[in-house]
Amino acid sequence: MSRVLCAWLLTLFLPLSVVAAEFEITILTSDSEDRQHDGRSFAGIVVQPHRPVLRAVELAVFESEALLKTLGMSARVDVHELDANAELLPQLQRVPASSLVILDLPLDVMERVVEPANELGLVTFNVRHSDAYLREEVCLPGLFHTIPSDNMYFDALGQFLVHRGWRRVLLVRGASERDQQRAATLVRSIRKFGASVVEERVFTLSHHPDDRDRNQPDFLTGGVSYDVVAVIDSNKDYGRYLQYSTRSPRPVVGDIGLEPRSWHFALERYGAPQLNERYRQFKSDAVIAEPATMTDAEFAAWAAVKLVSNSLTARVENETGGIATFNLSELLNDPDTQVDLYKGTRGSVRQWNNQLRQPVLLATSDAVIAIAPMPKFLHPKHYVDTLGLDEPESSCQLR
Amino acid sequence: MVLLPVQSLLADYAVISNERSGNLVFMDEQGETLDVVALCARPRGMAQRSSDNTLFVACSDDDRVVEFDLATREPRRFYDGLPGAMSLDLHEPTQRLLLSNEGTAQATVLDTESGEILARLPTGLEPDGVAFSDDGGLIFVASENAGIVHVFDGVTYAPVTQLLTNLRPRRMAIREQELWVSSEMGSRVEIFDLERLVKTDEIIFAPRGFRSERLTPVDILFDHTGALAFVALGSANHVAVIDAESREIQKYILVGRRPWGLGITADGDRLFVLNGLSDDVTIIDPGKLRPVRTTRTGLVPHAVEIVH
Repeated sequence: MSRVLCAWLLTLFLPLSVVAAEFEITILTSDSEDRQHDGRSFAGIVVQPHRPVLRAVELAVFESEALLKTLGMSARVDVHELDANAELLPQLQRVPASSLVILDLPLDVMERVVEPANELGLVTFNVRHSDAYLREEVCLPGLFHTIPSDNMYFDALGQFLVHRGWRRVLLVRGASERDQQRAATLVRSIRKFGASVVEERVFTLSHHPDDRDRNQPDFLTGGVSYDVVAVIDSNKDYGRYLQYSTRSPRPVVGDIGLEPRSWHFALERYGAPQLNERYRQFKSDAVIAEPATMTDAEFAAWAAVKLVSNSLTARVENETGGIATFNLSELLNDPDTQVDLYKGTRGSVRQWNNQLRQPVLLATSDAVIAIAPMPKFLHPKHYVDTLGLDEPESSCQLR
Repeated sequence: MVLLPVQSLLADYAVISNERSGNLVFMDEQGETLDVVALCARPRGMAQRSSDNTLFVACSDDDRVVEFDLATREPRRFYDGLPGAMSLDLHEPTQRLLLSNEGTAQATVLDTESGEILARLPTGLEPDGVAFSDDGGLIFVASENAGIVHVFDGVTYAPVTQLLTNLRPRRMAIREQELWVSSEMGSRVEIFDLERLVKTDEIIFAPRGFRSERLTPVDILFDHTGALAFVALGSANHVAVIDAESREIQKYILVGRRPWGLGITADGDRLFVLNGLSDDVTIIDPGKLRPVRTTRTGLVPHAVEIVH
């Protein structure tokens, strides 16, 4: 979008005042093609059921009520369904400019939304996509990320492997462009902490007899020596069959097996059981698939709302005991803005790329095995900044 | 707050509640285990009534408070229907027990004589620390999730005001006209004036070489003179020793993993620090500001009461 048009839009669509005693939250959803396939593996088995983030947002609002009430504020949640086949800009113009906008969108729609939303001055939160390029290349001042980046997820994994002494990694990945990109991020993380990739192997998905042979786990993981198998399989098509089928008896990590996660129902410490129980019992109109536990996307949406509500106290004026001005961008651009994440370490926003800094869990389907940063991985400034691209490494330099 | 009587002939001993092993460990001042008593599911907060050797223990997963006889080392009475009972404070002159109900966003005031519930006080989510003012005229309950210390009238139980805190307020301690509140995720202790009910000061923990996020204060304890304050710093594995008057941090003492619970002997000679993740207790000599011994407790030690 041209600069002239951009300026024109700003004058036309910014409300007269962005000061609000109401905390407005808008969730943007969309039923695109992508969404239909979301969570469906090659054979049509649903392995990652789609769950809207609404319930988690409502829970975060519920949690914030005691404080909001004390401050004489209220919160409101609206869901806007975007028609991905129609022009997006007019639809985005209907979103209240003072609201916190949660992008509960498939990647293809989100990619089309973030730039116009940024130019409209909207404060948006990516809660669903860990892809590195959204932080590094898209890099918009109005776009925040409460879901960890792949760099963070994989750095957590890399630290864990080194911590365990599993330094020789066999990388198995899918052939898609996304798998290729994510695998590159994983390789970077593995090397960053001193482990190495002994070989990279690609599985393919088809019914061709040749492929069938090549994709035999025994074959794909044979003929090479390794401590651990790392799998990149974004759609969980193939990797599910690797555990217990590798040529050498080695653990499987990555998108399958031991996974880096931002939230888990079995986290036992840091007040996490309270949050999980609250989520499970929470009465919401948003129907969710079993099990009743927050996905990483839901946790990210919850964290976006809490990031704001947890930071309100710092903005209370002593004279009035209330909040005089409530400006979302100002609040989120403040390096002291922080959130209690129920993961033992408070979260805050990385000033260079708007990424929420947070610990990353390493978990199986029913247990949290470790919480990264792992012991002895130290950062000079922030405890969790050994995870993800640090300020000097990042190509995004917002503030 | 527990008021300890004048020094008796018997030496002090510590009683430690262990969340995971569900028992009480009795330990002398030297750290020798005297006894282990199986008690209940997830014993956590405790409070003492020194007049008749009584220890109240919150049994969180049994939704009850146990009145425990320290002389016979057996339960004497049960107060049931107290969901998620967590932290306790006893107002001895009026025999009222104040407790937080972790899962239900409330605190309960219990008459320990009649066993009646006098009040259920609505709070923000995850109430933890509770405290009576010395005269029993005010009640304080910290809501971890809301970042609020709720203040209630100690007689009518009506809400008086809400004190806004930094992230995750956990425990409280009263010293003269001050209420000290630990903010676990805010890495600080905030100090409120009890008269005006406003924040007057704060102490931020920032020892050299530590990342700020790792300083997660929980228990606060004053020594018998009120001159020194001790704060258990959780993930930082240290206890801070503070000159309560000047707010100056005198020392950070290395202890075990994730210290939360604190207790001090009546003469101020021994400070007990419970290390929740290493399942042990570090005994500190507050005079020398040095640890004397670290020794085993039960699993996940939570709170310690020093008995006289």
